[in-house]
Amino acid sequence: MIDVKQLVKIYDGKRVVDGVSFHVSEGEVFGMLGPNGAGKTTTMEMVEGLRSPDGGEILVGGFDGIKEQTKVKELIGIQLQSTALFDHLTVAEIIRLYGSFYKKMRPLSELLTAFNLEEKKKGLVKHLSGGQKQRLAIAIAVVHDPKVIFLDEPTTGLDPKARRDLWDIVLQLRDEGRTVFLSTHYMEEAEQLCDRVAIMDSGRVIALDSPAGLIRELASDSVIEFVPGREEASSTYQGLGGVKEVKISEDGSVTLLTADLQETLRKLIALADERGLMLTGLRTRTSTLEDVFLTRTGKRLTET
Amino acid sequence: MRAYWQLTWAQLLLFARNKNMIIWSFFLPIFMMLALGTFMGKGGNQFSMSVAIEDKDHSTYSKQLTTMIDEKAGVKVKRIPKQEALKAVEKGDVSIFVRFDKGLGDRLEKGKAYPKGEKESIRLYFDKSNPTVSQIGTTVINQAVDQLNKKAINYHPAVKVAEKDIQSRPLRTIDFLVPGILSLMIMSNNLNGVAATIASWRERGILRRMQGTPLKSSTFIAGQITARVLLNSLQAVAVLLVAYFVYDVKIYGSWLLLLMIILLGTLTFMSIGFIIASLSRTPETAGPIAGLISFPMIFVGGIFFPVRDLPGLLQPVVKAIPIGYLTDGLRGVMNEGATLTQLWLPTTVLTAWFAVAFAIAAMTFRWDVK
Repeated sequence: MIDVKQLVKIYDGKRVVDGVSFHVSEGEVFGMLGPNGAGKTTTMEMVEGLRSPDGGEILVGGFDGIKEQTKVKELIGIQLQSTALFDHLTVAEIIRLYGSFYKKMRPLSELLTAFNLEEKKKGLVKHLSGGQKQRLAIAIAVVHDPKVIFLDEPTTGLDPKARRDLWDIVLQLRDEGRTVFLSTHYMEEAEQLCDRVAIMDSGRVIALDSPAGLIRELASDSVIEFVPGREEASSTYQGLGGVKEVKISEDGSVTLLTADLQETLRKLIALADERGLMLTGLRTRTSTLEDVFLTRTGKRLTET
Repeated sequence: MRAYWQLTWAQLLLFARNKNMIIWSFFLPIFMMLALGTFMGKGGNQFSMSVAIEDKDHSTYSKQLTTMIDEKAGVKVKRIPKQEALKAVEKGDVSIFVRFDKGLGDRLEKGKAYPKGEKESIRLYFDKSNPTVSQIGTTVINQAVDQLNKKAINYHPAVKVAEKDIQSRPLRTIDFLVPGILSLMIMSNNLNGVAATIASWRERGILRRMQGTPLKSSTFIAGQITARVLLNSLQAVAVLLVAYFVYDVKIYGSWLLLLMIILLGTLTFMSIGFIIASLSRTPETAGPIAGLISFPMIFVGGIFFPVRDLPGLLQPVVKAIPIGYLTDGLRGVMNEGATLTQLWLPTTVLTAWFAVAFAIAAMTFRWDVK
């Protein structure tokens, strides 16, 4: 459905998108995961035809994403990172207005039901809650029954309830047979929603696979986190049985990625006894995309 | 086509729901007209002065002279004694004081030339610090005396001057002001309105969201134009109706031509507004830029006073910018009942301005901030 080859965008001499290539198949939920400033939005907007690339090729539904933008725009529906709409129009008026821009339009009542906006039909946009605004933004993205939908960080700034609602909507879009291309900086979102994930950092795609595949590549399915009473060199932990990766963050907390949780834990306790380390906040968990990002870039996805 | 109507309709809804816009653009011109109309006076005659007369002669001639002065347009005669009258002149309640001395009737009766060294029969007292009034006052009285003199000596002039008023319709200040206010309204609504609105929509990303649809920029601009033309016509009609019912301001020319000139003005100033919106980076700069351009136009656009009263230095500027032509066009239709042929200059210049400004607006239009 989408083919991107060697996409480049340069701002003020800086390559914010630096040779990005990927393929999105029909009917899949494709995610772009990366921290703010990784180039996700810029990449998406080039595919949507909102920005012109400084190099590379874009193919959307068989149309040239640079030369045949009108055809591409008829095929796709977009939701921008923060969709700004006219504050003084009602929900129904906004849907009708945006529907008029396309050759075909889904019935208003169908959209209102699908996005749970019937009650707000006559409400002004400025009186909507964050979640309602976001649902309206997606409603106008699918107003013309598009094959491909772009969602740029659809849940950023939403409360947990609204976020769950939005996840349901994304899965519903997929079930309707649409291709969904979304960006996020929440690894949990990527894991839950996406069939495949491209991890982006500094304008490049550094990994691309299904969430499970990416985690498998780590060859370490577990993570141990703790704060030692005193600072130790990372080599101290490196030698423990099963440890693949050691990260010590600035606040002193240690993250160990291990292929053998039991063995590493045993050795860690022994080490702590031997050196008189006071381990606090000790916990273990299975690996996530966050850890994939951490091992690939040495950085955390989100500073929490 | 559906997009065009929807965009026009959406813009009209936005206008209707924007209370500030309604107050500023609908009521302001009407308030301005009412305020200026009241201040300048409704009366048809802009000139009025009161003359105090003390008649010590009491002859038929002195009475005749008093009537003649009283009948002059804009002159009101009060009969008061000297002491009181002089005080009134000093205070400015009375513009001029005239005293007819005894013997005035006698002289006129005899019809003889005025002898040297004799006392004058008529005395004028006025305040020279108010030159206009004192000048007109003395002229008015001199004319009356002159008429009476000529009659007394049975004078027949060899050459006569025929005076004809070519202004077939009486033009009052308010008649002059209403087209000016219309012109000002059209300029500020469109130039300032478009610049501020479009720049803010761009800044907020409303335009970018539209850019993500197959909507063409020409359709978007066409919708904007239609909505604003409708709004301006409606506002103009409101102003004209108030002007008609409150001040009896009439439109001597055709309504159609008037609407056409309003349309031309709207198109021209909207295009300039679009250019300003494109050239300014943020809405915070678009407003002041538009203000900077439109504010001086109020003074050089012939809105409150005729363009010819401006210093010669400014004349080339006045002739180059569109506002004066819009005002001229509106004034032509409303005050003089001018036809399209008579208004070829303002309409041609406005059309040319529109064509050039629109071309630049279309070329510079951007959906996006960057």
